[in-house]
Amino acid sequence: MALLDQKNNNVSITVFILCCVHTIMTRKENGWQEHREDFQRIPELAINPLGDRIINAFFPEGEDQVNFRGFMRTLAHFRPIEDNEKSKDQNGPEPLNSRSNKLHFAFRLYDLDKDDKISRDELLQVLRMMVGVNISDEQLGSIADRTIQEADQDGDSAISFAEFVKVLEKVDVEQKMSIRFLH
Amino acid sequence: KEDKEEDESKEEDNGSQQNRASRRKNYQRRNGDGKKAREERSQKKGRGKTAPNKDQKESENKEKKTTKRGKEGENKQKKDRKNSISSSSNSSDEESLSEEELAMLKEQVEQKKKLISTMRNKPWRMVKKLSVLREAQDFVEKFEGALGKGKGKKLYAYKMMMAKKWVKFKRDFENFKTQCIPWEMKIKEVESHFGSSVASYFIFLRWMYGVNLVLFGLIFGLVIIPEVLMGMPYGSLPRKTVPRAEQATAMDFSVLWDFEGYIKYSALFYGYYNNQRTIGWLKYRLPMAYFMVGISVFGYSLMVVIRSMARNANESTTDGDDDNFIFSWKMFTSWDYLIGNPETADNKFASITTSFKESIVDEQESNKDENIHLRRFLRVLANVLIICCLCGSGYLIYFVVKRSQTFSKMQNVGWYERNEVEIVMSLLGMFCPPLFETIAALENYHPRIGLKWQLGRIFALFLGNLYTFLLALMDDVNEKLAEEDVVKNITHWTLLGHHNSSAGNDSTVTPPPLDPADVPRGPCWETTVGIEFVRLTVSDILVTYITILVGDFIRACFVRFVNYCWCWDLEAGFPSYAEFDISGNVLGLVFNQGMIWMGSFYAPGLVGINVLRLLTSMYFQCWAVMSSNVPHARVFKASKSNNFYMGLVLLILFLSLLPVAYTIMSLPPSFDCGPFSGKKRMYDVIQETIELDFPLFVAKIFSYVANPGLIIPAILLMVLTIYYLNAVSKAYQRANAELKKKMQMQREEEKNKRNNKASTNPMLQDLEDLLTPSTKTESPPKQAEDKKTESQNGTSPVGKPGRGEFLAGSPMAGGRGAAFTPPSQVFVTQPRTLGARAPHPGQPRPWGHPLGPVPGRGRGQPCYPRAAR
Repeated sequence: MALLDQKNNNVSITVFILCCVHTIMTRKENGWQEHREDFQRIPELAINPLGDRIINAFFPEGEDQVNFRGFMRTLAHFRPIEDNEKSKDQNGPEPLNSRSNKLHFAFRLYDLDKDDKISRDELLQVLRMMVGVNISDEQLGSIADRTIQEADQDGDSAISFAEFVKVLEKVDVEQKMSIRFLH
Repeated sequence: KEDKEEDESKEEDNGSQQNRASRRKNYQRRNGDGKKAREERSQKKGRGKTAPNKDQKESENKEKKTTKRGKEGENKQKKDRKNSISSSSNSSDEESLSEEELAMLKEQVEQKKKLISTMRNKPWRMVKKLSVLREAQDFVEKFEGALGKGKGKKLYAYKMMMAKKWVKFKRDFENFKTQCIPWEMKIKEVESHFGSSVASYFIFLRWMYGVNLVLFGLIFGLVIIPEVLMGMPYGSLPRKTVPRAEQATAMDFSVLWDFEGYIKYSALFYGYYNNQRTIGWLKYRLPMAYFMVGISVFGYSLMVVIRSMARNANESTTDGDDDNFIFSWKMFTSWDYLIGNPETADNKFASITTSFKESIVDEQESNKDENIHLRRFLRVLANVLIICCLCGSGYLIYFVVKRSQTFSKMQNVGWYERNEVEIVMSLLGMFCPPLFETIAALENYHPRIGLKWQLGRIFALFLGNLYTFLLALMDDVNEKLAEEDVVKNITHWTLLGHHNSSAGNDSTVTPPPLDPADVPRGPCWETTVGIEFVRLTVSDILVTYITILVGDFIRACFVRFVNYCWCWDLEAGFPSYAEFDISGNVLGLVFNQGMIWMGSFYAPGLVGINVLRLLTSMYFQCWAVMSSNVPHARVFKASKSNNFYMGLVLLILFLSLLPVAYTIMSLPPSFDCGPFSGKKRMYDVIQETIELDFPLFVAKIFSYVANPGLIIPAILLMVLTIYYLNAVSKAYQRANAELKKKMQMQREEEKNKRNNKASTNPMLQDLEDLLTPSTKTESPPKQAEDKKTESQNGTSPVGKPGRGEFLAGSPMAGGRGAAFTPPSQVFVTQPRTLGARAPHPGQPRPWGHPLGPVPGRGRGQPCYPRAAR
């Protein structure tokens, strides 16, 4: 979801898919239930500072396993949007990989306590995961404040989903939160 | 078995083509009802190996087949009809049969292909998808070849294959392209650890390397290689031979190191070239080529610099309005979800940290308040000090140059005296920039602006050096020119005397030609100039490398290893590690390039040396940075367009164009060396070519065009055009700034209004709700689009509704936003918290639902997995 060069992207996409498929294949004997450890073995997720959050997103609340359908349902968020789909499915149900769903998926990664708002504390946690100990807490705090100040429109010093959407309006989420597979 | 597969695919295709929506509903229903059963089945399938799997599938297929048989039958009939029509031209029955089969096959293959392309949309399990896909692909591969009989089919198959290949090729090509950007990974690595400012130097270096590579190709391809291949060999002419007096020492290293001896009389320097109009069997006009290449080196450089400046300017204006959400974007979108390599991840971590630091510096700078008078005083003081330094260094150079002129008159001078100018200049270049940096600490500018000042000052310093050097060189040239007149006569008389004597002695035998090594020479000032530039370049390279080695690497080693047994902390204390000196390196590069531009006309080989230098310094400096430098204390973000660097390059290009143009236009070339010898001026070669090689009317046209009466109006016209374009662009800029300001204002106003609404002013809010009742009640207001609706209703702060809307979202963003979010569906997630912030129950608040079932969701939104599951 960011700006690293293309070469890496394409390589890792295949790796990611292979890992997913591999995970699926290896877990057959367990009756198509995915466990947390399986996810943690995927390098993309192990490295990602938000990896735990993404893994959590795969699991229904309070459970430690996910069945294949749930797994695919979550994974579907990463499917790229295709041009023909955009025009066709106007009146059908909204597909899982639509822009707003992708955004909502991303939003939930940040919204820990599920109150539909990203608060300052939640931002601070994410920041600490992303930059580690290289920046002082004070500065991290100021970054979080600035972020909220930028995005916040209704003055509740938290970022709601609508504000989140507004912020990422110009970011190409359709492409960035996508994985190409099967082709 | 394949048949069955095919049936299934057909069924699926029909479904997808006819009514996708119904199929989806079906699918969902099935999901809801038979979920458990399916899971069980899938588990079974998982445990059993492939054989039961197939059985199951077959049974499934049979079921489906029975339901869809009718349609299929129709299809097949149609197919048959078609086939009979197509095969009716063929008389024999057997052939038609085979044709039919072929058609069937083709149909099947097509369906398989369709299946492959629509595979993703199928509501199947992954295992099934994979196996079906594999089978379909195998089938297509196997039988596509069999279709290669009919012409049209062949073409079709070919087309399909090419289309597939093309897509793949395009993707591979994209990868290839990014892989082909040289040193991209190296630079990214540096950037992630040292910030974009250091990376900007390396990007600049890479750009420079590209330009030099082109110049190198131009000069080597059109001048040096033709001369080496087709010109007269070494020793055939006086100008291509080492003089008798120097031959003894011509191969000594000390002589070669000074670019005398054999190097001086090689194709690397101007003097080696002969003034023959054409050389070799190609009739290659070398002097003409030499002149044109000399001009086109400048022409190409100018063009490239200006083009890249224009491109940078474009880039910097296109993404100018993105600075609204800097921190948010960094926060939410900086991690790349696809990174799987630990090393890359480390780099990414470093780069995220660096970019945050950069933003912090920017942020601190923007809201800094301080004692402005003190700051002003310090800035003036710093400038005074720096001007003193500049004057001092200028005087020093002047003094040294004067001294060197007296040295050059003396006979036996030591190594130091001969190289004094270069040494002093290198030392100045080494010690002044750090001094400037120390002084610049007084000014306390934002590091980015500070860098520009620093660059400007060092530029002035180097420029002084350069022009002093040029003036000294000019004196030298004038001396040589005076000397030449004397030598010319001597040579003339020597040759004449030689001929006379040989003719007088023995008229029947052709006189033994005078050995080229013995012919007296003129000083050939062009080669001298060329040698000066080459020497300067080489000494510059050495000084740079040694500085890096000593100042960075050895220092780093010392600090790192002696730290264990030292009385104070070396790493944090005095010597510490070096920072990467951006300004010095950039200017070193720029001035080096100036040298190349100036020298390349008189020393064609200089560009080759420079290419080598840039290549090695890329690796060497990358290594030095990563191994022995530490990031700046205040990492700052380089401006996106490094047009400042480009501006410096352009300036230096112009400045180096001047002396070359002057020497070409107003000094007579040496009489006995170089491609223009024997002409009054170097540019006479053009006139000569036009007169001798072109038809008469071309010469006529040329003389008209060269007429000042035509040139002056043309220049006037150009100036006027420039003026006009400049005015237009200024106007655009103003309009742009205006719009940006309005956008900003609108944003702020809106924010304020919201704040007021939320916290303090319930009365006003009520009023506003009354003012805009229609929108608020009709549709659940979506905050992301609130701005737009408000501005449409005329409450936008800007006033004019039309423009307000235009401003609210740039057409692209607004359009996309509208496209992807039908309002009633997205806003579902808003509720609970909004209720909390507006604590009066009386107003209409259609969005005040608790987090429960919301009307929008009933319409089938399987998008939130928790709810759907």
